Amino acid sequence: MKHLTLADEIVVLMLRDDTGAIKPARAGSANIAIAGGILMELALLGRIDTDLTSLFIVDPKPVGDEFLDHALQDIAAEPARRSSAWWIERFGFHNGDLSRKVLGRLVEAGILREEDRQFLWMFSRRAYPKNSGREEREAKARLMSVIFDDTLPTPRDTLLLSLADSAGVLDEMLSPEEVRKASKRIAEVIALEEIGRSVQAVESIRREVVAAAANARLS
Amino acid sequence: MEVKNEVADGVALYRIVGKIDALTGPDLQAAAGSAINAGSPRIIFDMREVTYISSAGVRVIVLTAKHAKAANGGLAVFGLQPAISEVFEIAGLRTVIPIASDETEARSKLGA
Repeated sequence: MKHLTLADEIVVLMLRDDTGAIKPARAGSANIAIAGGILMELALLGRIDTDLTSLFIVDPKPVGDEFLDHALQDIAAEPARRSSAWWIERFGFHNGDLSRKVLGRLVEAGILREEDRQFLWMFSRRAYPKNSGREEREAKARLMSVIFDDTLPTPRDTLLLSLADSAGVLDEMLSPEEVRKASKRIAEVIALEEIGRSVQAVESIRREVVAAAANARLS
Repeated sequence: MEVKNEVADGVALYRIVGKIDALTGPDLQAAAGSAINAGSPRIIFDMREVTYISSAGVRVIVLTAKHAKAANGGLAVFGLQPAISEVFEIAGLRTVIPIASDETEARSKLGA
């Protein structure tokens, strides 16, 4: 891995230091954020482009990253033009556990290590503690800079912010008061990128569906 | 996409015709970037004949504005067609760069 993709970075940011795992309640958000991160990376690499209605291939040449190239092949093989939201749902809901795949990449790259941890004396759970934690610190520093500096962010940082917001990372990084104060800036930055807006829309629908299902179970 | 460039009164003006997308955007960004690096950080995009802009095109606008601002200049645009204006509105670009109705106003917004 030459550098972390946005999908890698959002998983690093979502991993909890105490458990070495993504919060179970955030698993659905993680899949959507990773799916969005894959599309964003392909867009930044000039392989796909989007507009208000569709996502399309610009250059089908592989990028040399198996994870991204799989997605690029899927997009190239789809006969109809689909929206970015459609692709986020497709990759996020129908591609198995994306976070497990990304965690495997991060272990291979030496950014995480894999451990089996005991809990309740008899159960074992896989944990992914960070090795140096440098990648997480750098990603957080970039997010803080985007949120609190008044300068125009780079497209990569804009996209990372939209993933972090949809995946609930900002709520963990900032106090409720800081989130409230920065909410206008966060919304303005996220609006700049179409795929970022689509990730937010898909995540919002997912949350509504989860809430409706929970209400149905209670009634 | 076709681009005609003219520099007058310390402003580099780009008259753009056609689409700004992932295929054409890099050329526009490179052209404006050259002007900024050569000491003309005040940039105007004449977009009266721009018929389409994709997300990659929006990225070119943002990156050019960022580059120009970092050089103590700025980017202003004018002449947005309704379809382009809709994209700018949704992306919130009005809060990021000055959008003018004509060239005179664009120059004025850049202090030229």
